This record gives sequence, structure tokens and C-alpha cells, in this order.
Amino acid sequence: MKILYQSRKKIFFLSMKSVKQHSPLSRLVINSLVFLLFFSFNLTAQEGDAANGEKLFKSTCAACHRLDKKLVGPALKGITEKREQDWLIAWIKDNQGLINSGDKLAKEVSESTPAAMTANPQLSDQDIIDILAYTKGEKAAPKAAAAQEVDPGVGRGKKVFKANCAACHKLKGKLIGPELFKIGDKRDPDWLKLWIKDNNALVASGDKLAKEVSESTPAAMTPFPQLSDQDVEDLLKYFAVGDVAKATTPVATSDNKEMFNKPGLGVWTTLGYTILAFILLSLIVAATTNKRDSEDTGDSMLKTLFFNPFLRFLLLIFVLLGGAWLTFGWLMQIDVNVGYQPIQPIKFSHAVHAGDNKIDCQYCHSSAKNSKTSGVPSANVCMNCHKTISEYNGPLFGGNTKEDLDKEIQKIYDAVGWDKENLKYIEGYKQKPVKWIRIHNLADFVNYNHSQHVTVAGVACQKCHGPVETMHDMKQFSPLTMGWCIDCHRNTKVDLTANGYYKNIHDQLAKKYGVKEVTEAQMGGLECGKCHY
Amino acid sequence: MKNILKITFALAFLFTMSSCWGDKTKPNYQYMPDMYKPVGYETYSQNPNFANGMTSQLPVKGTIARGQVPYEYENTPEGYELAKAELKNPLEINEKNLASGKKLYDINCAVCHGKKGQGDGVLVQREKFLGVPNYKDRQITEGSIYHVIMYGRNMMGSHASQLKAKERWQITMYVQKLRSDLLK
Repeated sequence: MKILYQSRKKIFFLSMKSVKQHSPLSRLVINSLVFLLFFSFNLTAQEGDAANGEKLFKSTCAACHRLDKKLVGPALKGITEKREQDWLIAWIKDNQGLINSGDKLAKEVSESTPAAMTANPQLSDQDIIDILAYTKGEKAAPKAAAAQEVDPGVGRGKKVFKANCAACHKLKGKLIGPELFKIGDKRDPDWLKLWIKDNNALVASGDKLAKEVSESTPAAMTPFPQLSDQDVEDLLKYFAVGDVAKATTPVATSDNKEMFNKPGLGVWTTLGYTILAFILLSLIVAATTNKRDSEDTGDSMLKTLFFNPFLRFLLLIFVLLGGAWLTFGWLMQIDVNVGYQPIQPIKFSHAVHAGDNKIDCQYCHSSAKNSKTSGVPSANVCMNCHKTISEYNGPLFGGNTKEDLDKEIQKIYDAVGWDKENLKYIEGYKQKPVKWIRIHNLADFVNYNHSQHVTVAGVACQKCHGPVETMHDMKQFSPLTMGWCIDCHRNTKVDLTANGYYKNIHDQLAKKYGVKEVTEAQMGGLECGKCHY
Repeated sequence: MKNILKITFALAFLFTMSSCWGDKTKPNYQYMPDMYKPVGYETYSQNPNFANGMTSQLPVKGTIARGQVPYEYENTPEGYELAKAELKNPLEINEKNLASGKKLYDINCAVCHGKKGQGDGVLVQREKFLGVPNYKDRQITEGSIYHVIMYGRNMMGSHASQLKAKERWQITMYVQKLRSDLLK
């Protein structure tokens, strides 16, 4: 708009000149041109830029208004036909001021609704005109199709990475330094910038995270003060996107040790080995005994095998041992519910909420930080978001259609009595509890306290509950057996930096056990009475 | 021959025993569960002693649960203005309060309001919510911040059930810090 204004001035100036120099005809032409330009300027000012308006609408108004539907405020489509533009500008900028100035219409509007509208003094007149243009329902500039265009910064970042970082880092997988793919999800980009440029200074500045990171590995990272801000930004982009052309191959490394620890799977493999060993043995026995026997009696090889007393004895031992082993294995998995996945009354997907939308676990399970129980959120917590979000628009999962999932959201509304058309709770509605099925259930003779683990020890939820943020249907991940508890207590080193109160005792314990850091078990985490009382 | 048959039967029996728990939507077997199962009512269990059948109950009207702090401003525009003008933070501004304020803010607020309070949280970027304001564009005081956490405002819901009074004040303190950082 500024440029247009300037050029208008210039042309006007030009035309003044031409008045002196040119013929009446050219004067007319130029004057009319000026007029046209002036007019078009006015026209654009009147119409506003709907694309800019859309942006502003989304960032400023959309919290309470929609175009085609009532939210907190009225629907705004076609509002310019109902109200004067000047009045709207004054109202949007400072509705309270307008009411106080004694404007009759303003008073009427404000009284028609209990919610007071927020004033927006930061918007300029032009901004508001743009927004109004958008509310006319004019087509905004067509959005660029979601083409997966790769930012050129990614390419530059790759160069910088290869030149500076690749000596110690790989994009995927640990080298001397940690894996850097999607590091931006784990750390704040601003922190990363400071860290990359001069990690020593960051540690010296007393940054806690920096200290932690530097202590977690023996190798110190080289500072890169020569990288410009742009370089580092490109790097971060590259970390976020990774190698585009390269198809990622899923690496499936099966850990043998883990395989045997899992009940069920271990049984079958071991049994297979045992049977194989038995067949091999009997073949050996057959090979050594068969010749002599068959010469004497002429019986078939199989028959001699059956009636070989040594083999029969061996078989008996195998069967007895195998039977005992299987019985023991079966007894050990009683009431171990790994993989327990009940069908819940609402198809609530943790993958959508905690995974895609990155809502913190403790947002909903808010009592985990203060209480023994990590609470199942009450429906008002669901409604914090689902007042606004009444339908599912994300990627579909589990063979559900959009309608299926919309119905699942409707179940919350049915439970609390929410009228999604008028956006208010139905008065006098008899609310119904949602009957969730409990998955993680410790036997009653064990005391387990969430706050002690979440707040005091700072254990991540995923450590026990597994990758919940990837589960559409929640299931039990850990066995929750005593051996499992104790394993963790034996291996967990206690963080003594956060709380200095017990430093003395911890130091004495460390001295007693001759270790640098005390584990949970050494602090008494194995004592029976800690969990069983 | 009979022997072998018997052995096969025994093995088959053991196999079926060991793979008994087939239906993962039902819990596994329990052996003499008398001590597994609670005598009292568990936190979220059903409870025939109350009219609504639930163990978790709201505090009786007119009582204050231990550790709760009553809040006397009303959930109306007038209450908001009143809280904005006169309500003050009882906590001392120090590193400790700000640190736990940050932690709680990142859990409870950042998903919409953004890590720095610019109104650009994940849910806004994914267009689930729109128009979340930047703190610097709003005239907010400690009283109004607390009031909004308590009751919610417009499409924002109340977060009183998720946070204790002290935690709310810590978040308030941190939001004020974010705002003054943004205004710089």
C-alpha cells in the first residue's frame, strides 16, 4: 500500500509538471490516469486483502468466532451487511470504549451476550478492513497445495553437517556424540543454537541441562563459534527433516536376552531346542546301537529305537524336566498381565492425543505429580479441549471412519450433557460416568505411589507404561512383577543434585558401599516394608 | 506304545495350560486372589454406598477439603475485573517458584500458549485451536491470570481441577515472567 501511495504521489507530481508542458489532450489523458489510479487505490483500501484478513482472523478472532457457526461470539459471515464498517472498526478496536461513549447499538450488542469481547487495540484500520473482507466470504488467495517442497536450508544444513559435525555425529545412530535426527523434538532450538556455538560457555553459565549433557559423556564437544546463525538454523532444519532422498529402512534388531525374559516366547524357543537336541541324541544312539541289533534280530530301525532302554530312560528324564519347566513357567505367569488390552467404553487413542498432538501425560493425568494414584481425568478435562473440537479431522486409524470417531467424541458430550450446537451445558442433565476399565492393577498387598516416582525420582511415564504415545488402544507394557520392580531399583542411580537435604546421609551411604553414586536399592529400595506393609 | 500316547497327552495338556490366557481383552488368571483384591473401595471403583454409585465424590457443599484454598471471586466479567484489580500473588518471587512454574506451564499451558507464551503451541500449529493470543497483546495482571486458570475464559476451560492453588500461583508467576520477556 505504501508503494502505491508513493507512486501515486510521483505521478501526481508528474502530472503537475505536464500541466505546464503538454497539450490539453495529454493533460486529459494523464489526469484521467491519475484519477483512475487514485480510484483504484481507494477501491483496494475499501475491499481489503482477504488473504491477510484470513491470517489475522485466525490469529486474533478465531478463539471466539467462526465464520459460519456460533462459538463464544456470533458467527461473522456477512457481518458487514448487518453493521456499518466504521462502527465495526471502532467496536473491534475497543468495544468497551464504544459502549462508554454512549453508542446505543454497542450497548445493545454487549447486553445480548454474557461474555465480554476482548478489545484489540493492536489492530490497525487496514487490518480490520482486511478481516472484514475475509468475513464477506471472499475467496482468499488460493493456498499453495501441500506440496512436499524441501526447504533449501535443509540442503545447506546437510553441507554444514558434513563439514563440521559428521566427524563425531551421525544423523541416525550414536557415534562419539549422540544421534541428531529429530534432536529438535528433544531440545529447545534456542538452547541447541547456544550449545552448538559454544557448549563450554553454556556449561559455565550454569545451565543445568548443559551440565547434565556434558556429564553424560566423557568426550567433550568442540565449540563451533565460526558457524553463523543462518548455518545453525539450516543445521537444525536438516536434523528435523533428515536425508530426504534416502528411504529409511526399519532396523529390526532382536535382542536375544530380551526374548528369553519375555514369558511365552522364551518357552517355545527353548522347547524347540530341547526337542531338536533329543532327536539328535536319539539319532546318535541309533547310529551306534543299530548295527549290532539289526544284525541280531532283523527288526526295523524305528522299532529298536522304541525299545532301546537307554533311550526310554532318557526320554523319561526329558519329559519330567520339560514338564517341570513348563509347569513352573505357567505358574510364573499367573496374574502377569503383559499385553492386557481391554476394550474401553470410548475409543480413546493415546497416539492421537499424546503422540500427534503432544499433550503432556500429566496434563490429563494431573494427580500423578501429587498423589498415589495417577488419576483418570474427569470429563471436565476432556471438555477443556473438546468444547471446541467436536469432530475428528486427523488421519484415520484402526479401521474407523470419521463418523465412527465423531461418535466417540459425542460419547463425552453424552456423559457430561454438552449441547454442541449451542455450545453450553444442558441444564438439569443427569451426568453419567464413563466406565473406563483399569489396566494397570497392582495386587493390594503392594504399595505403589505415583508421586514418589514421578515427582521425587523424576521417572518418565514411559519407563513403566511403555511407548503409550504410539498406542491407539492402551495396553499393559510391563509385567509389574516384584522382580521387575527390584531390577529397576537396583539399576537406578539416585539423583542427589536436586535436593541437598539428605546429602549427608547419601555421602555416608556412598562411602559405606564404596561407590560414587548410590542406587535406589542401596538407599533401602529393597526393604520389604517399603512396599509391603 | 501306550506309554508314548500317555506322554503326548501329558505334553499336550501342559501346552494348553501354558497358553491358557488367549483373550487379551480379559485379565489373566489369578491364584487365590484374596490378598490381591482390596477389601476397601479403590479410588475409581464403583460404590453402592453413594447415590451416584461412584467412590470419588465431590466435597460436600460448604466444606473445604484439606489443602484446598477457597476462591471468592465470581465467574463473571465483573469478578474478572475485580480479581484483575485487587488479587495479588501470595508467593515470593524466587528461582524455585519460577522453576516449578515453568515445569507446570510446560505441562499444562504450553500445548496451546506456546513455550514462550506467543500463542503458538503445538495445537495451534496443527490448527486444532486458533487465535490463542500472544501474552504481550493482552493487558493481564497476576490477578487476572489466576482468575483465568481458575475459571477459564472464552473457549479456554477451567484448569482448577488439575492444579492446586500453590501451583496455580507458580504458573501465574511464570506467565508474568514470559510476558515481561515478550514485552522487552
